[in-house]
Amino acid sequence: MNVNVQFFSYFKQLTGTSATSEALPEGATVAELLTALAARFPKLRGGEKSTLVAVGVEYAAKDQVLREGDEVSVFPPVQGG
Amino acid sequence: MIRTLTISPDPIDEAALVAKRRMSQGMGAAVYFAGVVREMEGERALKGIDYEAFRAMAEHQFHLIFAAMKQRWPVESVRVVHRIGFVQVNEASLWVEVIAPHRGEAFAACQFLIEEMKAKVTIWKRGIEETAA
Repeated sequence: MNVNVQFFSYFKQLTGTSATSEALPEGATVAELLTALAARFPKLRGGEKSTLVAVGVEYAAKDQVLREGDEVSVFPPVQGG
Repeated sequence: MIRTLTISPDPIDEAALVAKRRMSQGMGAAVYFAGVVREMEGERALKGIDYEAFRAMAEHQFHLIFAAMKQRWPVESVRVVHRIGFVQVNEASLWVEVIAPHRGEAFAACQFLIEEMKAKVTIWKRGIEETAA
């Protein structure tokens, strides 16, 4: 299956892109997506603990199972205000 | 509870916002807060901060926070304005107003909103140094 991924904040600089797609096996979780992204974008490594993930507009836990076509956002801690 | 949310690159006109305040006769407290861009960020002198938002999620998360406020306090109205894009030093990047029957509730709800925003609302900032072009 394929999921669409967008990056925010300095993750765009770390990856060199604001959006990409990732092919994953059926039943893959958010954690597996992050592992795949870290393999493609080595500069993302090391920040996994604080990395936040959303599917659509809801935060997603690392064990959340992804579905074909999910719109996933990956970003560092938020800093509004 | 009336909920008004604005995420915009436009400067925050505090006087205009205050002039638009609406309170029913049972309300006794209007608390508002302005978050202003500071010049110094640690050792760095800034000319401003550039704010980026994942807008759809930011709006959704703000509304979840408003719903949580409504569960906890008898808030009549909440208004939030958050700027995006470049905000120069000494300008407001955030403006929040909470109207409730009593000051304790209004202060608590306002503080809750801001703390939750800082943890959950998808807005990021990048300091722009004084020396940047």
